[in-house]
Amino acid sequence: MSKFYTRMGDGKRVMLTKEQIVNDIQAGFADAADMAGVADLTANEIEQLFEIISDKNRIVGVEPGNEVVVSYDIGQLDFTGDNGNSGNGIDVGRRESALLHERALGADTFELAHADYSIKPVKPIIANEMQTMEEIQSEIIIPYFYGAMPNSGLYYAPDGPYGNPADLMREFKIEEAMQAAELTADHLARDIEYVAPKLVSAGADGFNFDTTASAGDADFVGTLKGVEALRKECPNTYILLGMAGESVMGIHGSIEYKGKVVAGTYPHQQVKLAEQAGANVFGPVVNTNTSKSLAWNLARSVAFVKECVKVANIPCHVNMGMGVGGIPMWETAPNDAVTRCNKAMVEIAKVDGV
Amino acid sequence: MASGMGGIRTAGDMVARMEFSKNMKIGKAKEYVAKKLGLSSLEIADEHIMRELRDDLKIGVVTGVPNAPRGIAAKMNIERLIDTKINSCEIFREVTKKR
Amino acid sequence: MADNKKALYDAVIAYKVPGIQEAVANAQKAGMSAGEIIDAMGDGMTEVGILFERGKLFLPHVLSAAQGMKNAMVTLGPELLASGDASTKRASVVMGTVEGDVHDIGKSICSTMLQCAGFDVHDLGRDVLKAAFIKEIKEGCTMCGMSALMTTTMTVQRDVIEILKTEGMRKKVIVMVGGAPVTQAYADKIGADIYGENASETTQKAKAITN
Repeated sequence: MSKFYTRMGDGKRVMLTKEQIVNDIQAGFADAADMAGVADLTANEIEQLFEIISDKNRIVGVEPGNEVVVSYDIGQLDFTGDNGNSGNGIDVGRRESALLHERALGADTFELAHADYSIKPVKPIIANEMQTMEEIQSEIIIPYFYGAMPNSGLYYAPDGPYGNPADLMREFKIEEAMQAAELTADHLARDIEYVAPKLVSAGADGFNFDTTASAGDADFVGTLKGVEALRKECPNTYILLGMAGESVMGIHGSIEYKGKVVAGTYPHQQVKLAEQAGANVFGPVVNTNTSKSLAWNLARSVAFVKECVKVANIPCHVNMGMGVGGIPMWETAPNDAVTRCNKAMVEIAKVDGV
Repeated sequence: MASGMGGIRTAGDMVARMEFSKNMKIGKAKEYVAKKLGLSSLEIADEHIMRELRDDLKIGVVTGVPNAPRGIAAKMNIERLIDTKINSCEIFREVTKKR
Repeated sequence: MADNKKALYDAVIAYKVPGIQEAVANAQKAGMSAGEIIDAMGDGMTEVGILFERGKLFLPHVLSAAQGMKNAMVTLGPELLASGDASTKRASVVMGTVEGDVHDIGKSICSTMLQCAGFDVHDLGRDVLKAAFIKEIKEGCTMCGMSALMTTTMTVQRDVIEILKTEGMRKKVIVMVGGAPVTQAYADKIGADIYGENASETTQKAKAITN
């Protein structure tokens, strides 16, 4: 029986039969269906996914006419950062990085970021960020955002004023932990309201909220409230809200946004909250399981994202990178896997961008 | 490379602007830009067609061409071309208007 | 008896402390032994762990269920002592996010799950020095859980294992590793005993290895 060259979720090369790949596609999908109640992939889609995965070419791509928008996140950190964020360790300036993304890498959008990439530390350096934004806006053509992570973990002890829910809960101080999370959500929203409009006033096309809900449900609620405030103050600004994972962690457990408990929501439910808050584009994320195959991970990711795109009234730019969107969790993500995942997301999940 | 429009190599920047400013999904955004450029959705992602057109329309080209508009100048032309407002251009107009 | 077992199981899954206390009181009245009550609640906690993993219950709910169990243990304590059936902690575990890394949510969830599963957890927090892990092991921890969320810090997990070898303590301690960039292959490469894809899996493997 012929075997096809494919990958595991940790990036390791494996050879699998058609039967094994199709079984993994079905199992990956079944996992998404079980967790989030998303609709079945059709037999045609399963076959399409198999063909993409088993393609003999190392690099695959979408058919001409199917190209989508690529909105880059993490700003210049993909050049300047260390391997922790897949950076190249090149100390290139932010202006040079922006123009290189526009002119050398073919980015459809890009963003300004600072080294920590969190919203809270932007406050003391807001004037620097505004001036750099003004400078780069005078030279760049593509939509140029300011990007940062809500990262509400920075508001908890030892970095912030509120008790750390993880510590409080270990002492069974559950009410106090929940209260700390609520206070953090409000603080985060206030910081977004402080930082984001200033960057828009410096010419930013918009704001990219990257890795939203990384610190759980209160992080998500704080971001949604911040987005709502930004939309009110800057009605025409572009807002991209990207997530940290497929499911929102319930650190609080019952905190709500507009009457909806956000803990445990999946991409197709998260996008509706993003729409209500006033985001223009939503970035669903599905995490990779390193112990499963590319087929399993990609099918699972496609199932989540397809449902999200189906119910969304706004465009969806799926997060694609190391350990998300079916792509293996490996620092130098194999190109064969990256391009297959991209093609599947565009042509099966029907995303509007990546 | 596998799935992207290619930014100012083609019309990716303008399609992105329509997604973000009007919440248009990819198909509609491409149709909208294509119509404004007098092209098809397939053609606006074609480097061969878009390289010359961008030069002619003075909306910025990906290669280094002396006198080709960059930054605000190119974006002001894009505003007129696809009938949208761009924040940095609005601010530029505001700070340079006669008082 | 079966009804009481089910009531205990259901009460733990419902994660309300008064409900768990009531179910324990009813079970005692019905003549269930302390050991049987604890077993029934343990089954409930296992289900709570599964529901947590599937995103149906969240951390405060798990903690609330654990608090109910903890209270029940206090109530049942005298009977357990009298019967000689006093349960001991499964093992003492030192947990921490390795030095240079400040991502501790996943590790904290894992610590909580281990605590709920009956482990004596010494959570040192984040950015934990290698020497701090070693100190806890020297002071009696027989398990060591290290989390790393960055490719730049995951190497510290290997360093700690190497120190354990150098100091002749490797065989005395079960080493668990986890975190986003960490994989089974990496765990095998550095010689860890347990790789946990997530908190539930880590807890299950920790329980299995200590049974």
